[in-house]
Amino acid sequence: MKIKILLFGQLKEKLDAGFIEIESMEDSDLLLAKLKSEFPVLSDISFRIAVDKILIAEKVVLSEKSEVALLPPFSGG
Amino acid sequence: MSHHKIKNIFIQGAIHPSFIMESIQKHSTKTDIGAHNIFLGQIRGDEKDGHQVTAINYTAYEEMALQKMTEIREDIFAKYPLTCLHVYHSLGLVPTGEICLFVFTSAAHRKEAIDACEELVERIKSELPIWGEEIFDNGTQTWKINK
Repeated sequence: MKIKILLFGQLKEKLDAGFIEIESMEDSDLLLAKLKSEFPVLSDISFRIAVDKILIAEKVVLSEKSEVALLPPFSGG
Repeated sequence: MSHHKIKNIFIQGAIHPSFIMESIQKHSTKTDIGAHNIFLGQIRGDEKDGHQVTAINYTAYEEMALQKMTEIREDIFAKYPLTCLHVYHSLGLVPTGEICLFVFTSAAHRKEAIDACEELVERIKSELPIWGEEIFDNGTQTWKINK
């Protein structure tokens, strides 16, 4: 099962895509490790992870319905 | 209550001064208001390596931003005795010198209007998933960093 990961800001530009799809993982820590191994550029840019539109502060269990997004530092206003 | 609904805050392009003027005008019938406080963010023409910022291109994770803004709005209403508050943020290209953020608080007295407005601006800048990309006069671009 694949999971869709939304990209924003600098990450959208670096990966030249609005989203990426990778094999779904059980939780956010495993997903992050997999993302960093498949997309080495993610180790060069700081970002936080949102699951279902909420920033996560610790490991979160994922389902195939989870909406995951990678968010570089905000710069609104 | 009406201010607990998800409201759209995004405006495509710059926020025109006429929109701000109309927004002020609309409050004249609310006679319990004694103080308004307005914050306007304007695109600064910063210079870097001899090149000037000519615009900022804003993008957002819109659904998350609106959800977060609803939460911030509820917090602010719970903390300060406000009559109303309004927030508008640009998306897309906003040229240097134009307005990109409009925060408007109204209350019976000045202190709560001023304090609420300041807290709103800080929270908007640090908590809303919005990104600004500075466009320079030589065509190069850099991702803005909030200080």
